[in-house]
Amino acid sequence: MSESVEGDGAFERFVLPEIEVLLRVANSLTRNHAEAEDLVQDTLLRAYRGIDGFDGRHPRAWLLTILRNTHINRNRRRRPELLRDPDTANDRMISAASDERTDAGVDDEIDQEIVHALDSLDEPFRRVVELVDIDGLTYAEAAEVLDVPVGTVMSRLHRSRSRIRDRLDQVGFTPRSHM
Amino acid sequence: MKMWIMKLFGRKPPGGMSCHQVGEVLQQFLDGHIDAERAGRIEEHLEECRRCGMEVETYERIKATLAARRPEVPAESIDRLRAFGERLARGEDPGGHD
Repeated sequence: MSESVEGDGAFERFVLPEIEVLLRVANSLTRNHAEAEDLVQDTLLRAYRGIDGFDGRHPRAWLLTILRNTHINRNRRRRPELLRDPDTANDRMISAASDERTDAGVDDEIDQEIVHALDSLDEPFRRVVELVDIDGLTYAEAAEVLDVPVGTVMSRLHRSRSRIRDRLDQVGFTPRSHM
Repeated sequence: MKMWIMKLFGRKPPGGMSCHQVGEVLQQFLDGHIDAERAGRIEEHLEECRRCGMEVETYERIKATLAARRPEVPAESIDRLRAFGERLARGEDPGGHD
């Protein structure tokens, strides 16, 4: 593969098939459908401008990096107060939309406990679970979105799922309790 | 499965892995981020080890519940973004950008 993918059709071939994944992740980042669509639109524009410098490898990871940086830039421009305390700010954004997510049709007690346990996690841990288990990203893709090493994604995921498991254990829902 | 009994009698743990070793890579196994050889050994372990088997059952339930919460992405949003991207690709003014 050459150093870049210059030529006709590169944008259609590498970028357009990823729109749904980008929109899904944008929804997780913004918690707002309209904002998510705007974010993906900005991401497409930046990807179009940068396609000549793209080497053709791992287009999804490349696009997720653009999406993440675009999201940060948009927040810097529109909500400078968020940058002073990103965790608190994210919590604020998340709490504004968490009810919507929680009402998505949970139909039994175990599911409710799992969702409750997820919502109780600290933001960096909850975010990893959402990207991998809900949005279906790989570890490497989640690492691109969060701008952390893959090992950090793995350790946060392990810890988060263990906490959810512990929650089920506490309320008597793990298989062990039925022995 | 009592690993210490196996150790005492010199029997290898199922799959050649202890419960602790399985636990260390269980999340990667559940996510399919593990090589086939090691996945095979873990499966072998899980067939014999009830404790680890129940652990897997719990985590699979958690993953299934969370996957079911994947929100629908509105088709009209995808259509709009695709049309935007196609206009960009044709070198046209994509519109809709502030």
